[in-house]
Amino acid sequence: MTAPTDFEVMLLVTALVVLSLLYSLVKFAWKQPLRNGPGFFLGIEVPAGFYDGPGKRWLTGYHAILVALHLALAAALGLCFAFKRWDLIPLWCGGFALVYVPAVVALNLWTRHKLGARPPVRAVALSLESRRLGDYISWPAEALFAAIIVASWWVMLRRGVAIDWLPPLQMTWAALILPGKIALVRSGAPLPAERAEEHYRYQDAMRRNSIHALNAWGCLMLVTLCGFPLRLIWPPAALPSLVWIFLAVFTAVFAWMMIVIYRGMRLAVTMGRDLLPAGSWMTPFRGATRHMNGFYLIWFAIWIGGILGLNLYSLLR
Amino acid sequence: MFLALQANDKRPVYQQIVDGVKALIARNGLREGMTLPSVRQVAGDLGINLNTVAVAYRQLQDEGFVTVRHGAGAVISSRTPHPIDEAELCQPLRTALTEMILAGKTNQEIEETVHRELALLQQTRSCNTEKGGAL
Repeated sequence: MTAPTDFEVMLLVTALVVLSLLYSLVKFAWKQPLRNGPGFFLGIEVPAGFYDGPGKRWLTGYHAILVALHLALAAALGLCFAFKRWDLIPLWCGGFALVYVPAVVALNLWTRHKLGARPPVRAVALSLESRRLGDYISWPAEALFAAIIVASWWVMLRRGVAIDWLPPLQMTWAALILPGKIALVRSGAPLPAERAEEHYRYQDAMRRNSIHALNAWGCLMLVTLCGFPLRLIWPPAALPSLVWIFLAVFTAVFAWMMIVIYRGMRLAVTMGRDLLPAGSWMTPFRGATRHMNGFYLIWFAIWIGGILGLNLYSLLR
Repeated sequence: MFLALQANDKRPVYQQIVDGVKALIARNGLREGMTLPSVRQVAGDLGINLNTVAVAYRQLQDEGFVTVRHGAGAVISSRTPHPIDEAELCQPLRTALTEMILAGKTNQEIEETVHRELALLQQTRSCNTEKGGAL
């Protein structure tokens, strides 16, 4: 049995990513502004008849930005293939998230600034249900996760073979998601007093979905990290089998991650219909824009900044 | 279990929390041994200062409605009726009656309101007791 070439491996990874992106674009991202019904644009309450007037322009602008983003990324991918730079494919995958997420966040902030300057003030409901970390995070799984990371590094350091430390370091950094999960458990948007129970259940389901998606992402990074020490200890004659096993596990975990993400998106659409999106209204105590937990935002900025920094370093070194 | 906090309520936020928790205890919605969410969770969810929630919890503890246990949070205390002076008990009732008279309500309307609210309280209370029994 022969191992697949670098080109074949990257082709598989690219195919997986491109298929997922196209599915997300068609099924969710394209319809995102209308997810909460015709009374909202990207989660911001708009007046009746908005989509017959200025809403058309907003919707066209949104779709144009989406198309431009995807075209730019398709061009970058085309360049990777044209110059046979397979080593840049993982960077392209990470780069997509690093370009897409800030672009969507910026678009949301801009829309909020222009359309949601004075959202209505509503009475707020407070849930008396305690959220304990143990109800959302499995500590034995976290311990296993940490043990695998430590064991991977222990094997790599003990072998004393000269290896490129950057890729395992990138995977380890990307797998450090526990602070983000803790921040998600602790964060909660205000609940409107009307239909408080439904809003609470929706918010909790979204919280659990985000944690499941982070778990799946962590597993994907862990699988990739494990590839480095396994390559060092695997018998050289059987290396092709390791590559095939790795590809099979990677593909399975990737598919699981995408299923978790899509299921979450579908649930958000189903449960969130007719409910007030977080940040579309003001409570008597805080503004509409402050609906994200500060701890989560700080963690996310450090985490994504670290990934970006390591990616840039690997590109420029 | 939810507390609703109104935008146009004249009471301070901590007092709204205190009154809301007491109302839920009176309606049997919150029973002995149930845990209230942590001060950090309440403050974070509402977007208010930690101290505001801490003051509310401290008042509930001082009045004997909750017991704050280290590590377990604020737990609803046993339901032994709290002895309060008759005059002290009537003070909020007098204030509410005054407000209703100033709002132009007749004696009959006020009586109807009081009866309706009392009946609603009793109904919720027995409903929550049945739910508790079923559990």
